[in-house]
Amino acid sequence: MKVALIGNPNAGKTSIFNQLTGLQQKVGNFPGVTVDRKSGLVELSNGQTVEIIDFPGTYSLYPTSKDERLVVQTFINPADNNYPDAIVYIADVTKLEKHLLLFSQVKDLSIPILLVLNMADLAEQEGIQYDLTKLSRKLGAKTLLVSGRSGHGMDDLRIALEDLSRATLEGTAKTDSTFYRLSQEETRFATQIQEHFPNYTPYQLVLLGHHAQWLPFLTSAQKDLIAKLVTDTDFKDFPLQVRETMQRYDFFTPLVYQAKIKGQSTASSFTDRLDNLLTNRFAGPFIFFGLMMLIFQAIFAWAKFPMDLIEVIFGDTGDWLKSHLPHHWITSLLTDGILAGLGGILVFIPQIAILFFLISILEEIGYMARAAFMFDRIMQFFGLNGRSIVALIAGGACAIPAIMSTRTISNWKERLITIMVTPFISCSARIPVYTVLIGFAIPPTTIWGIFNLQALAFMGLYVLGITAALLAALVFRLILKTNESSFLMLELPEYRTPVMRNVWLTVWEKVKTFTVEAGKTIMIISMVLWVLSSFGGTKNMQKAEAEATRIAQEQHLDIKAYENLRSSKRLAASYAGQLGQIIEPVIKPLGFDWKIGIALITSFAAREVFVGTMATIYSIGNQEDEFSISKQMAKEVDPETGKKIYSVATSVSLLLFYVFAMQCMSTMAVVARETKSWKWPLIQFIFMTGLAYLASYLAYHWLA
Amino acid sequence: MVLLIRLNQNNEFVVATSNTAKQLVHLNAGKGGFVSHFTNTQMACKLMSMGILPGSRVEVIRFAPFGGGCYVKADNLLIALRKEEATSIVLR
Repeated sequence: MKVALIGNPNAGKTSIFNQLTGLQQKVGNFPGVTVDRKSGLVELSNGQTVEIIDFPGTYSLYPTSKDERLVVQTFINPADNNYPDAIVYIADVTKLEKHLLLFSQVKDLSIPILLVLNMADLAEQEGIQYDLTKLSRKLGAKTLLVSGRSGHGMDDLRIALEDLSRATLEGTAKTDSTFYRLSQEETRFATQIQEHFPNYTPYQLVLLGHHAQWLPFLTSAQKDLIAKLVTDTDFKDFPLQVRETMQRYDFFTPLVYQAKIKGQSTASSFTDRLDNLLTNRFAGPFIFFGLMMLIFQAIFAWAKFPMDLIEVIFGDTGDWLKSHLPHHWITSLLTDGILAGLGGILVFIPQIAILFFLISILEEIGYMARAAFMFDRIMQFFGLNGRSIVALIAGGACAIPAIMSTRTISNWKERLITIMVTPFISCSARIPVYTVLIGFAIPPTTIWGIFNLQALAFMGLYVLGITAALLAALVFRLILKTNESSFLMLELPEYRTPVMRNVWLTVWEKVKTFTVEAGKTIMIISMVLWVLSSFGGTKNMQKAEAEATRIAQEQHLDIKAYENLRSSKRLAASYAGQLGQIIEPVIKPLGFDWKIGIALITSFAAREVFVGTMATIYSIGNQEDEFSISKQMAKEVDPETGKKIYSVATSVSLLLFYVFAMQCMSTMAVVARETKSWKWPLIQFIFMTGLAYLASYLAYHWLA
Repeated sequence: MVLLIRLNQNNEFVVATSNTAKQLVHLNAGKGGFVSHFTNTQMACKLMSMGILPGSRVEVIRFAPFGGGCYVKADNLLIALRKEEATSIVLR
């Protein structure tokens, strides 16, 4: 049995969903759309199991965003897989006169329904009290008072759920009363269309008339038929919608007043005072950036230790296995393939966990809506949403959690643009690459007495990334078409202390989703990279080994130097090396040789792998030693021209390439997961890498 | 002159012209009034579903930084509106 959880945004649906399902939650997909389907199984004391589906919050059955459309398309169509057998409607008891519109609409679908008044704790504080029996009688649905925050009334809810499911199964649930008197036009339309949709309630037929043109489950013949009937019956979309809305309010507003025992809903003065400061025209943005810097700092500083730990553990385990297992490709698969891939997935978890821990606290408090309000105008100019600014800032640490945080942007176009441009922001994985290369490109001189030129260049690369992100957003804004209109009309919830249960569950869910879903892709790509850099055809590899042995004997190298030389030669002879040579003509105009080509390919595992690959190519054992890597790179000369490879021109060109190019398989895996298709990550790969190529080409030719 | 689509007492749509009515966006911060009608049907529908109806009392609390929208209070509902959205609300 399926039970839908539905209600207005900010009604506290998530708290109740978390109370009911706890860790038994599953995140899946609604068919055909990018909206996540959160559901959980609840076992009732009568032994029956019901599936609770948490639908996106919406204000009415007249949707303006994809999320809201999903609710409507599911609730109109009795044949839908997710069509609920029963509904638990969540309303904020302190705003009851505003939260009953959607209730009265879903009530008219004739699905057994339970009305749950949430925020009992707040109502008590504010002295608001309702006669539940009266409400229940007048509204034709069992009514309960609960608090998702404290858990108060949850046992009653479970019992009510049991009664509801039993009554639903037995077919004795009361679904008769309807609130809405159809207008003449609507009645005419409904009577004429009924024969084609026999299972629909009159109100579902009315909704069909309003929404037919975008409903995905209708055939085009059905759409044409409805369109014709709409014209014939003079069924006018907006006027009828307004009429319906007004009639519903007129119906339940008096009921709410009659059922109210005491109390007056007022906006909280605490929220007013806090907002005086937090959304102040001048102080507000400063406080926001202060908070964001804190988050940024936290991802950097707090994540560093667990990330280092993960790297050390996986590195050491790999080394230990290598030295204890026989020299064989299976050992290499285990250590350089599987272990490295696993480490590459796990290493992102600290960042994801910390970002979502902090962001969901801010979201729970109610602050994020304020940030969206303050930055809406600027972000709108770039085709983004007020909430995009959080993703852009978080992208400075890592694009992966940043892209995952765009889930709260309800407008699809704005969300997609945010996802597409966030990887331009220089993430922490680019820092080692910048550090090594800036040394070649920029002299460490001091200008104007205080500024170190290398530090300025470092900052310049960040500015370049941000500029690219915003300009790309502008371009996408002009290119992408949408039939979704963009609204702000954002409810600013009262400030509350966060419910930590909700925060932890969000962190858990994000980490799980990343590990399981993006993790699969990362593992596969990591295996491919392993094959590329470990194999190159038996003949080639044997030749490489023989050469390494020959050189080692000639130069009397010790065992360690021999090992380093051997892996260098093997990498050069591998498929990755061969690929590097194949793409050399393509990257030659950028000033790159085939060795850089190999690094570009292996960087796909993560950008900082550039440094490690350089270490292998130049047979330096210790990959941590950036200094000796740069020294070795500085010595490198072009065999044809005799000029240094890492000239200023090549280094600048390579730096620009790393600023712009999409070189991160994990990001692509996450984009694919969030957009539910490989189309967008591929487009992203092409335009980012294309831009990188262009920028590097121009820079190289200008400087060389 | 602005073309207006408004509801009369019988819930029928009438088209009226007006250049005297005060739009919400033109109020000073801290000032309020009662909603008379809306000038954009799509925005009207969404505002109404959120509980801002003809007859509701609304108050502009403050304006956003960077020339953005406004922070509006309607009974105990706090809501952020873009300029165009606040322009669509006409007060009595």
